[in-house]
Amino acid sequence: MKYSYYPGCSLESTSVEYDISTREVFKAFDLTLEEIPDWNCCGASSAHSESYLLSLALPARDLAKAEDMESTVVAPCPSCYQNLKRVKEYVEKSIENRDRINKALEGTGLKVEGKVAVKHPLDILINELGLEKLAEKIKVPLEGLRVVTYYGCMITRPDGSYTFDDMENPMTMDRITLTLGASVLPFTRKTRCCGGPVMVNNEETALRLSYDILKEAKEADAQAIIVACPLCHLSLDAKQPFIEKKYGDKVNLPIIYFTQLIGLALGIPEERLGFDKLIIDASGITAKYKPKKKKSTKKKTTAKAKSITTH
Amino acid sequence: MEDSYNKTAINGLDPKFKFEVIQAGGEGLSACYQCGTCTGGCPSVEDMDYTPRQIIRMVSFGMREKVLNATAPFICASCYLCQMRCPRDVKITDIMAAIKSISIKYSNSSGNTRGQAFYTSFNEIVYNLGRLFEPMLILKATFRSKESFGYKIKYLTKSVPLGIEFIKHRKFSMKPQKVESIEEVQKIYENVRKMEAKE
Repeated sequence: MKYSYYPGCSLESTSVEYDISTREVFKAFDLTLEEIPDWNCCGASSAHSESYLLSLALPARDLAKAEDMESTVVAPCPSCYQNLKRVKEYVEKSIENRDRINKALEGTGLKVEGKVAVKHPLDILINELGLEKLAEKIKVPLEGLRVVTYYGCMITRPDGSYTFDDMENPMTMDRITLTLGASVLPFTRKTRCCGGPVMVNNEETALRLSYDILKEAKEADAQAIIVACPLCHLSLDAKQPFIEKKYGDKVNLPIIYFTQLIGLALGIPEERLGFDKLIIDASGITAKYKPKKKKSTKKKTTAKAKSITTH
Repeated sequence: MEDSYNKTAINGLDPKFKFEVIQAGGEGLSACYQCGTCTGGCPSVEDMDYTPRQIIRMVSFGMREKVLNATAPFICASCYLCQMRCPRDVKITDIMAAIKSISIKYSNSSGNTRGQAFYTSFNEIVYNLGRLFEPMLILKATFRSKESFGYKIKYLTKSVPLGIEFIKHRKFSMKPQKVESIEEVQKIYENVRKMEAKE
C-alpha cells in the first residue's frame, strides 16, 4: 500500500522523532510513505487568524499535489491532519467552494478536486492494517509497562463528517497500546487541551493546562504518557522542566509518541526511533524492552500487569 | 473607519458587526441559544475576561469595540471542545478565530498585543519561507509585541534553556527550511488578500 506523506513543519524540527518513528513503523508493515514534494506549511491555527480563506488555501496547495500522486494522504500532526481534512471536505461540499479554492490557487498551476482521502496514522494502523497484523509482528511485548494515553484536542475533532474515533473518549491509541502488551490506566484528561497553541502568547494558561495532565498521569501511577501530537509533546516533554519549577513538583514522566512505542515492541532499535531526542529521559523504559534479552523478569511483571489492567 | 460605523450605531452598538464575523468564517452565530455548554467545557475560560458564551452574545448585540479589545479570543487555545459539543452547531472556535482576524486587521500601529504579534509573525514567516521556523517565530513575535523592552529580554532569556535543550538533543537544524517554489505560496497569499478585499 502506498500513501502520500505530509510531515509538516513540526516533524521537521521539534518533533523529528515522531517523523522517524512513523517512517520506521510504516516500513515495518510494508506501507510506503511517499513524501509530498515541496510541501508548504498547513497554516496551523495561525492562518485562520489572518483569514478563513487562507486557512483553506494554504493546505489546498498540498492537497492538490497529493491528488496528482493519487494516494491517500497521511498526516501525523493532528493540526496538519485537521487542516488538510477540512479543505478536502470544504471542496467536496459544493462546486462553488471548489471554484473558490481553485481561484485562490490561480497562478500556481495547481487544481484541487477533493478526490483523495486524508488520514491519520492511527486511523491507518487500526482500520487499514488492523490490530491482528500489528500483533503478528510484535517481538518484544511491553508487558508490565503502565501508561496513560493522551490524544490531545485536535485529533478527533471537529468539523466535518469524518472522524475515526470517538470525540470525547477516543480508544484507538488505547487499543494499539494494549495490543503491544502494555496496560493502559484510566485517564480522564485524554482529550483535554494541553494549552500548546497559546504557549507563546499566554504562557500562564498553557503551563497550567499541561500541569493538570502531568499531575493526573502521575497520580494514576503511569510510567509514561503516550501521545500523538507534536504540540502536546512539546508542552508535556520540553516544557516539563519549566512546569516542575513553576509548581514545585517533581514530575519526571517520559512522554512517548505512539509510533515510538510500537517501534519498541516491534524490536526496532531505539536509535532508529529517536528516543535520544526526548528531553525527559525514557531510557528506563527502552532498557527494559530491548530486543531479545533474557526472560527472567517477565513472569513477575505479567502478573502485575493483569492486576492493573482495568479500563 | 469609525465614522461609517457611527452612522448605523445605536447606543454605541454596531448591528453590522455580526455579519462581519460571519463573513470571516464565524458560521452559525445566530443559532446560539445561550445554553453555556461552550463555557462549561472550556479549558482556558478561567483566564478569559469574557466567557465564550458572553462573547457570542456580545457579537450578536454588535458590541464591536468591546469584543475586538477582549482578551478571550486570544486566550482561546483552539481546542474545538466547545464547537464539538455545541447543541446548536455554532462554530464557536471558528468565531473566536474570526474575531482574532478582524482584531488583527484593525489593530493600530501603536503596537500589537502579544496574541496579535504571534499570529502576524507566523504568517509573515510562512509567507517568506513557506514553512514555519520556530526560533524565528519566538523572536519575531516577542519583538513585535508592545510589551516593554525589559519584559521582552526577560522572556527571551527564559526561553534560552529550552533552546539549548533542543540543540543538545539535535531537534532542529539552525538553518530554516524553505519551500523551493516559494512564489506559489506567496501567490496564494496574494490571491486570498485580493479575493477578500472584493468579497
